[in-house]
This record gives sequence, structure tokens and C-alpha cells, in this order.
Amino acid sequence: MTASRSRCRPSFPPLRGLLPLGLLLLAWQLLGSESSPYFPPPSTWARGLQRLWENGTLGPAARETLVTFTLSLGLATVAGSVLGLAVGAFRRVDRAVGPTLEFARAMPPVAMVPIAVLLIGYGEAMKVAVVTLAAVWPILLNARAGVRTIDPVLVDTACSLRLGWFDTVCKCTAPALAPSIILGVRVAAPVALVITLLVEIVTRVGGLGGLIALSQRNYLSGQVYGLILVAGLFSFLVNGLVALLEGAVLRNRPRS
Amino acid sequence: MTSPARLLRRVNWLGLGTLGLLAALWEAAVRSGAVAYQFLPAPSAIAGSAGDLVASGEMGAAVLHTLQVTLLGWALAAALGIGLGLLLGLSPTAWRYSMASIEVVRAIPPVSLVPVALLAFGFSIRMELTIIFFVSAWPVLVNTIGGVRGVRSELLDVARMLRMSRATRIAKVVLPAAMPAILVGLRLALSLSLVLAVVAEMIGNPHGLGNALMSAQQALQPEQMFAYVLAIGVLGIGLNAVVALAAARLVPSASARRPEGGRR
Amino acid sequence: MTTTGTRVRQVTAFESHGVGVELDSSEGRRRILAGVDLRVADGEFLTVMGRSGAGKTTLLRVLGGLLAPTRGSEVRFQGRPVDGPPDGAVFVFQNYAASLLPWRTVERNVALGLERRMAKAEIRARVAEALAMVGLADRANDYPWRLSGGMQQRVQLARALAVRPSALLMDEPFGALDAMTKGALQDQLLGVRQRTGATVVFVTHDIDEAVYLSDRIVVLDGSPATIAREFEVDLPRPRHQLTTKERPEFLEVRRAVYDAIVDGHD
Repeated sequence: MTASRSRCRPSFPPLRGLLPLGLLLLAWQLLGSESSPYFPPPSTWARGLQRLWENGTLGPAARETLVTFTLSLGLATVAGSVLGLAVGAFRRVDRAVGPTLEFARAMPPVAMVPIAVLLIGYGEAMKVAVVTLAAVWPILLNARAGVRTIDPVLVDTACSLRLGWFDTVCKCTAPALAPSIILGVRVAAPVALVITLLVEIVTRVGGLGGLIALSQRNYLSGQVYGLILVAGLFSFLVNGLVALLEGAVLRNRPRS
Repeated sequence: MTSPARLLRRVNWLGLGTLGLLAALWEAAVRSGAVAYQFLPAPSAIAGSAGDLVASGEMGAAVLHTLQVTLLGWALAAALGIGLGLLLGLSPTAWRYSMASIEVVRAIPPVSLVPVALLAFGFSIRMELTIIFFVSAWPVLVNTIGGVRGVRSELLDVARMLRMSRATRIAKVVLPAAMPAILVGLRLALSLSLVLAVVAEMIGNPHGLGNALMSAQQALQPEQMFAYVLAIGVLGIGLNAVVALAAARLVPSASARRPEGGRR
Repeated sequence: MTTTGTRVRQVTAFESHGVGVELDSSEGRRRILAGVDLRVADGEFLTVMGRSGAGKTTLLRVLGGLLAPTRGSEVRFQGRPVDGPPDGAVFVFQNYAASLLPWRTVERNVALGLERRMAKAEIRARVAEALAMVGLADRANDYPWRLSGGMQQRVQLARALAVRPSALLMDEPFGALDAMTKGALQDQLLGVRQRTGATVVFVTHDIDEAVYLSDRIVVLDGSPATIAREFEVDLPRPRHQLTTKERPEFLEVRRAVYDAIVDGHD
């Protein structure tokens, strides 16, 4: 049987629970005034989004956010896996580097933004740097934990078959670590998305967040709300994709 | 082994030493000009700047503001979250007719709501508090619901058998049993509160550590910036530690850690 | 075809001189083995026995190049010094579940030691041959964790055989299996050995198993451990689960080994 992935994923609660939300939106639409700068009704959201789509700003902004997110998550996965592997495999390294890592981890990413801006400047590199820094921790921690659970017999087997270190890593260690890493990625993905938006909102450097901040400054509140919905949609999509990825990686494995 | 000696042995000298070594390397690199970023200060400069800020009271004022706002927003969120969470957790009907909505709203990345708060409340403390309260309430709410619904039916049977009144049952069985989950929610909410406070201060409210950080950036004062970053980090660690400690004292069984599962 | 007596060939598979091993433990470095002199002839079936913790597995790992002995020890395989798993010797582990790769099919598991060392066609042929030798040809495309314990151990054996080793080092390979499966696998091992002529160095707790399978049994004892006793097993081959075990010679050796292990401590 395929490995169970519904074990950890809770199913969505009954759909009739959407009633309050639906009623709220309906009331909002009926009672809200179009000209209200603070709580514009949902119809204005749709209109705002449509406007953005038609004048060609929504597409590129969404694409930019997506690119930053994907790039950062990729870098975070590589860095987190390698570092986590190094730290998990060698006790000495773990003890030596531990406090430094804990210290770095405690620095909230939001506080890193001004520093990154000052050191790297406004731009894609700065965004990727901050988001990667934020997203690397879950992956690193999970990789470290995963290394500790690798059975030594596996390594002995590779050694006895004279596999060579490259083959040992590719054929034995990496696949054995894959479930832990993918778990880390599952936790890191939402973090990466949120921090991407955060950086964009705070620095106004492009992407969906930048668009939100811009709309807010221009008091285009309907647009703001609409864009927030788009952000929420992104969040759903990201979670769904990562769940699919997890399913693919854990296919043909026994339930541990 | 005597107590102080054992304590000394448990300190991770290798780790602290590495940290110190890195700081020293950083210092040396900047001083010798090997690494000459225009805006990368040496640790000594950061420390000096931090000292100045503390002495002048600026650091204290900023920390106080952020701390107050964070705690207030968090407390309000906790009250609402736990109260509403109890309600929704105990009543299956209420749960059925609201959980899906909660899940949908929860999916919205919290940080994107800051501009909305700005729109509604402008540059003010109210904006900051509102956003903290609104966003932090969700983890508490969801975790409380989860905790209450997760109370083992055997325990509820015991309560019924002992003919406990509804209020007693909630107070003596449900709430304590749901405590671990509630605590997790509270801790998440606290971290979130701090982050949002800083974000709100960075773009909306002219007080607090976030604002001080941005001002330092705009004034091109990297030493001060790093000092404020450290302050934010320390504040975060401190808050977390205090909550963990309080939880361990007040509700010892709830925060009992499961042993780390590792081979060897 | 029966042969009486052990074949003492001139060719030596393994030899060790003055092998000592020190390992880290909670009380500091402990000497597990000291001064172990051993000579295993080519094609011989040698079993190493001793009480729990005596150092049987340690000795096996030293012979297999998985553990380095202290300086001054000498370990050779086919005349060449051992410093790492030697070419031609393969280890078979007790914990088969951890040794097989759960993300690979049985077939690909067996191929693990062959990849990138020969042409794909030859790999396929060898895998098929190895699986046939252990009787699992029809499970090639299954995943190991779907198979029973006995079958998984056979997969590990097939993986070892695919490499066409001249020596097998087996660390309590049948320890986790039930009695019926154990008997079947013992016979399968003997059959494989008869066909391939491989040397086998075997570790087990089970005295019956040791006497049934071996040409020679050595018993480790002491702290640090050395070879305390040695027994020749002069039983005819091929061996049979029932008739061999009824022979008086079998019972004699069994008794002697039992006394050496259970009572033979100072």
C-alpha cells in the first residue's frame, strides 16, 4: 500500500462551517458603502483585482513573489539539508556550532530586513537572503534529527559492499534522510511564503506584498482586500503542492 | 559530584567558545579592513552603541513600548481565544457551523493584514494593538478548540459518573486536559505577537523597537541597527523563556516533554 | 557426494595475528579483544561462539574490515592486509530490516553491490542468479518490507551472493527468525556454500546451529577476550536436519561446546 499521508493531515471540517463566513461577506456587501475607505464591500475587491489584472500589474507581481519564494525555499532546502547532515552526523560539530545556530535562529527575520537592506540594498538578492535565512531552520533541524535516526547498519552495509562515499551518500544516506527533509520543507514552505510577503510589504520591493503596500498608500482599499485574498489563495496552493511532493517522496515506503 | 562542578560540566564550553571565536574573527575582519562593507560594524562598535542607547534611555523606552503592546495584545488574544475556543470545542454544533470559516480565514498570511489595519486606523497604537490581537487570537483559538475536542472520552465519562456540574466539569477536567494544547497555542501567539508588533512599528507606529530600527536604518547608523536587532532577539528569547518557566511551574504535567527519540 | 574430515587447504582465507580491539564505552576505553590468533582456511565453515558481550561480533567486524584493530595487530585476507572491507568478502547483518533499502525493490536491493561496476545486462543476470539461489526469483519486484523476516534475510543473502564473494561474514543472521525458518535457511546456506565453495565465518549463540553448520568452532572467552577453546566438527556432508543431529558425534561436540561456553570461565 502507498505510505499513508492522511495520517498527519487533518481533513477539512464540514463545509457548512463556511456559513458564518458567507453570511459575513453577504452582510458586508449589503451594508457596506462603496466609498468607505476602511471596509469596502467584497464587490470592490473583485473590481480592484480585475483592474490590476487588466492593467498588467497583478500577473508580474504574483510571478515575482512566486520566484522569490521558490528560489529561497530551494536554497533553504539545500543549505538546511547539508548543514543539518553535518551537524547531526558529528556530535562534536553539533556541540561546537549549536549555540551559534541557536543564537542566529532566535533573531526574528523581520528584524533582519533593515540590516539586509543596508548591506545588500533593495532588490531580489536581499529578499532571497532574508527569506532563505528564515526558512532554513525547520529543514536544518529536521535533517539533524533525521541523521540521528539512520540505523548504523545501513552505513555498515554500504561499507561492506564497498560502495564508496559518493554512492553511499546518493544511494543510502540521502534516500534515508528524504522523509525528514521533506517534513522540514513542509514546515518551511508556509514560513517562506509569509516572510516573502513580509519583506515585500515592509520594503515595498515588488511582488504581491509590494502591491499591497502600494495600494494601501493610495487608499485603494478594495484592492488591498482583494490582494489579501490572492495571498491567501497562494498559501493554500503552496500547502497543497508541498503535500503532493511529500506524497511522492514517501511513496513505496513502509509506514514507519 | 558537587553541584557547582556538575553545573560547570554541563555548560557547553565548546559551543560558547566557538561563538566567541566567531565574534572575535568578525571583529578582526572589520578592523583589519579585510571585510569592508560600508555598513558592517564590528561587534565592539555594536556593543558600544548598545551601551549608549541604554544609557540615554532610548533603548529602554523602545523596549518598554514594544513589550507593553506585545503583552497587552497577547493577553487580549488569549482571553478571546480561550473563551471562544472553549465554546466551539465543547459544542459540536457550533463547531460544525464555524470551523470551516476559521480554517479559511486562518489561511490568510497574517502579515498581509497589516496594511488593512493601517488603512483602518492609521499610524497609531490602536493599529498596532488591533493587528496583534486579531492575528494572535487564531493560534490560541485553534489550539484551544483542538485541545478541548481532544480530551479523552474516558475522562468525560468519569466526570459524568461523578455527576459533576457543567461548570465543574469544564474547570476540573476539560481545561486541565486541554492545557498542553492551549499552552502551545499561547506560545505560538506570543512569538507572533512580538513579530507583528515589530512589523507594525516598522511601517505604521512611530514608537517601539521596530520604529527605532527603521529610524536607525534611515539615519545610516548600522551599529544602532544591530543593537536594536539584538534587543528584539533577546526580547523574544526572554518572553519565550518566561512563558515556558511559568507554564512549567503552574501546570507541570502539561509541559512535560516527551523524551527525544533517537537511536544509539 | 560426501566428504569426511575437514578439507585443510593450503590457501588461507582469513588470518589474524595478535589482534586486539579497544572500544569507547561509558567507562572509558575498554579492551574487548587481545591477542586473537586465528587462521581460516579457504572454503572452511568456521563459527565463532562465546557468551554475550564476549566480542564475537567485534572479531567478525575486524575480519571484515569494518573495525580497525589496535596497532600491532595483523589481519589478512587472502594474504593481503585488511584495512577496510576487502574485495571478495561480504558481510551479512543480523538486522536485515535495517540493512535492506526500503525504497528499493528486492531486485534493486540485490543489485546494490554491483551497480556501476559492470554492464547492465550482466548485473541483471547476476541478480537473477542470486535470487534463484535463495529461491526468491518470483519476488524480484516486491518491496522488502512486504516480505517475511526469513525472506528478507534471504534477500540480504542474495545481495551478498550477487557479488560472487569468496568469503561470507555472517553476524547471527538467523537469530531473529523462528525455528522452522531458521532450519530452512541453514540448509539453504549450506547448499549455496556447496555450490560456490565460499568460506564462511559465522557468529551465533545457538550451539545446535553452530555444530550443524560448521567445520570448526572457536570459543571466545575472557576479558579482554581471546580464543579459549577450539573444536573440530568431524561430521559428514551434506548434513541433514534430522539424521545429522542424531549422530553420537554431533551430541559429543555439542556437549563439549556447551561446557566450554557455559562452564568454562575462570
